Amino acid sequence: MQRISHDERAALGLLGPLAVVLMAVTAFPILYSLWISLFAVNLRRPARQPFVGLDNYLHVLGDAQFLESVTRTAWFSAIAVLAVLVIATLVAILLDQEFPGRRILSACLLIPWAIPSVANGLMWKWIYDANYGALNGALMQLGFITQAQVWLGNANRTIPLIANAFIWKEVPLAAILLLVTLKSIPSDLYAAARVDGAPAWHRFVHVTLPAMRPGFLLVALYELLMAVRHFDLFSLLTEGGPGGASDVLAWRIYVETFRNLSFGTGAAMSYILAVATLAASYALIRSMAQRL
Amino acid sequence: MARIRFQSVSKRYGSGQSAGQFAVEGLDLDIRDQEFLVLLGPSGCGKSTTLNMIAGLEEITEGALLFDDQVMNNVPAHKRDVAMVFQSYALYPHKSVFENIAFGLRMRKVAEAEIKRRVEDAAQRLEIAHLLARRPSQLSGGQRQRVALGRAMVREPSVFLMDEPLSNLDASLRISMRAEIRHLHAQMRSTFVYVTHDQAEALTLADRIVVMNGGRIQQIGTPDDIYERPQTIFVASFLGSPAINLIEGTLARADGAAWFCRGAWRLRLPPELASAADGAAVTLGLRAEDVQLAGDGPADLPAVVETAMPSGADQYLGVRSEGQTLYLRVAKDARVREGDAVGFTLTPQRLHLFDSQTGRSLRAGA
Repeated sequence: MQRISHDERAALGLLGPLAVVLMAVTAFPILYSLWISLFAVNLRRPARQPFVGLDNYLHVLGDAQFLESVTRTAWFSAIAVLAVLVIATLVAILLDQEFPGRRILSACLLIPWAIPSVANGLMWKWIYDANYGALNGALMQLGFITQAQVWLGNANRTIPLIANAFIWKEVPLAAILLLVTLKSIPSDLYAAARVDGAPAWHRFVHVTLPAMRPGFLLVALYELLMAVRHFDLFSLLTEGGPGGASDVLAWRIYVETFRNLSFGTGAAMSYILAVATLAASYALIRSMAQRL
Repeated sequence: MARIRFQSVSKRYGSGQSAGQFAVEGLDLDIRDQEFLVLLGPSGCGKSTTLNMIAGLEEITEGALLFDDQVMNNVPAHKRDVAMVFQSYALYPHKSVFENIAFGLRMRKVAEAEIKRRVEDAAQRLEIAHLLARRPSQLSGGQRQRVALGRAMVREPSVFLMDEPLSNLDASLRISMRAEIRHLHAQMRSTFVYVTHDQAEALTLADRIVVMNGGRIQQIGTPDDIYERPQTIFVASFLGSPAINLIEGTLARADGAAWFCRGAWRLRLPPELASAADGAAVTLGLRAEDVQLAGDGPADLPAVVETAMPSGADQYLGVRSEGQTLYLRVAKDARVREGDAVGFTLTPQRLHLFDSQTGRSLRAGA
């Protein structure tokens, strides 16, 4: 056996405890939930928890309600990620310009990001409220509507409205990440493009956009993960309603696990979500990294 | 074809109350068609600002910039017939070498077949034809430099600007690229404006050199003019390696001639340097290579050797004379040891004399 050097022993002593803690708080829950996803665990009959193999998975994948929530989650994520990318790009470009008050604006921009998630949910619940909500108030005063709307009561509007609240909170961080990418573009490239005869639009297309690809990848990936797993707004604003119109995966897993107390199928759903997220992220990284 | 004229051009950063210092002040410069002009000076002297004003990358605060007879002040960069090579090369990192070189032509809507012909022709001439499919990140510094040159060449511009294009290359490559740039100028028949802080580059490449300092022109002239007949102490000390020796003293008139005096040392000045008044404070400029060891004969400059530094082909001596250390070049085989008292003869025509107050040359006609 090779001797362990003094430095290595010191490193082991310093890093070992951390490794143990990490194993305990991350690896154990991950493996334990995988384990229970293979059993018919339901707290309503805690005494009988037979091993069912992949039955939970087969059951979930054949469940129409689950599959609908997958489609709904995909729809929500697509709206959210695309909108965050576009709006954050515009905000980043705005903040990259020199103008008076730029620093104050940058600081204000971070407020939505700094607000706790639950506070954000409650705020939007109030904005969308049918009786005394700010959205109804503003639109009625501006004359766009004559009658108060039950915004979150319309099944066709629920997902876009919740996406809107999500986007509002997510744009700041995305914009800062993109701004960093923008700032890292050497000014010589713009000078070269100007001398090469490129007007502003072409400089944007040929210099700015390609240079921002790593930033886009980072933001798209991060926002995809945030959107697919998003729970807070669905719980606070609609609880999956009306009539299941906002019953997304994260909400479905919550209901299955903690309302139906069916931990086995809940864990199976979580695993399907995790694997799907991993696959989507991998596909995104592959498709964008190839063009970096 | 382009003649470039600056008429009383100034560039100041900031505006209104916060108006900063002049980056360039009162610039008058006439660059001839197809000339190779080098802007030379230390960093911050305004040379790059001047170049950027020609390119249209910097706005002009005051004065007029003309290409031939057209005022260019408000013509945007992308509408000027100008190409530029940057110190950082500024290649588009996500485009292939071919697309980098072709970009300026695409922006000008040149036909595809013509683009292909010109890019391939330039690549042949620069010996980078085998690299056309690569990305800039896959190239060495020298290859990137060639791509940057190619990108400027294919445009066939009437004005070709270069901002320290060789300073990121290693020394041996720099010398061979100098020759290629000189060759390129001969082929292109464009006006070249080249910015550098490297005097050797300026002396090798230029038809004329403009020496700048503190946003102002110090001297305009051929490399020979600039080196042999510097008009200011700044120009004299900026060119030459090792730097010219500057010796402060006074001018005295006696026996029908003018003499440079410092302490006990008196040196008879040639008539063309004798324009200053009796007793004027003057600075004598003496280049290291303009002395010979006097041997046993009469000497113009007595000194004591402090250090002897062989440097391959020659040797440099650090000598002490009248309380000042001078650096002088002598033949490699001169037998001189540290501590020896030696005498040097000077060539009067190769001396430089400046007014110590104004720093201006006292050479008649300078």
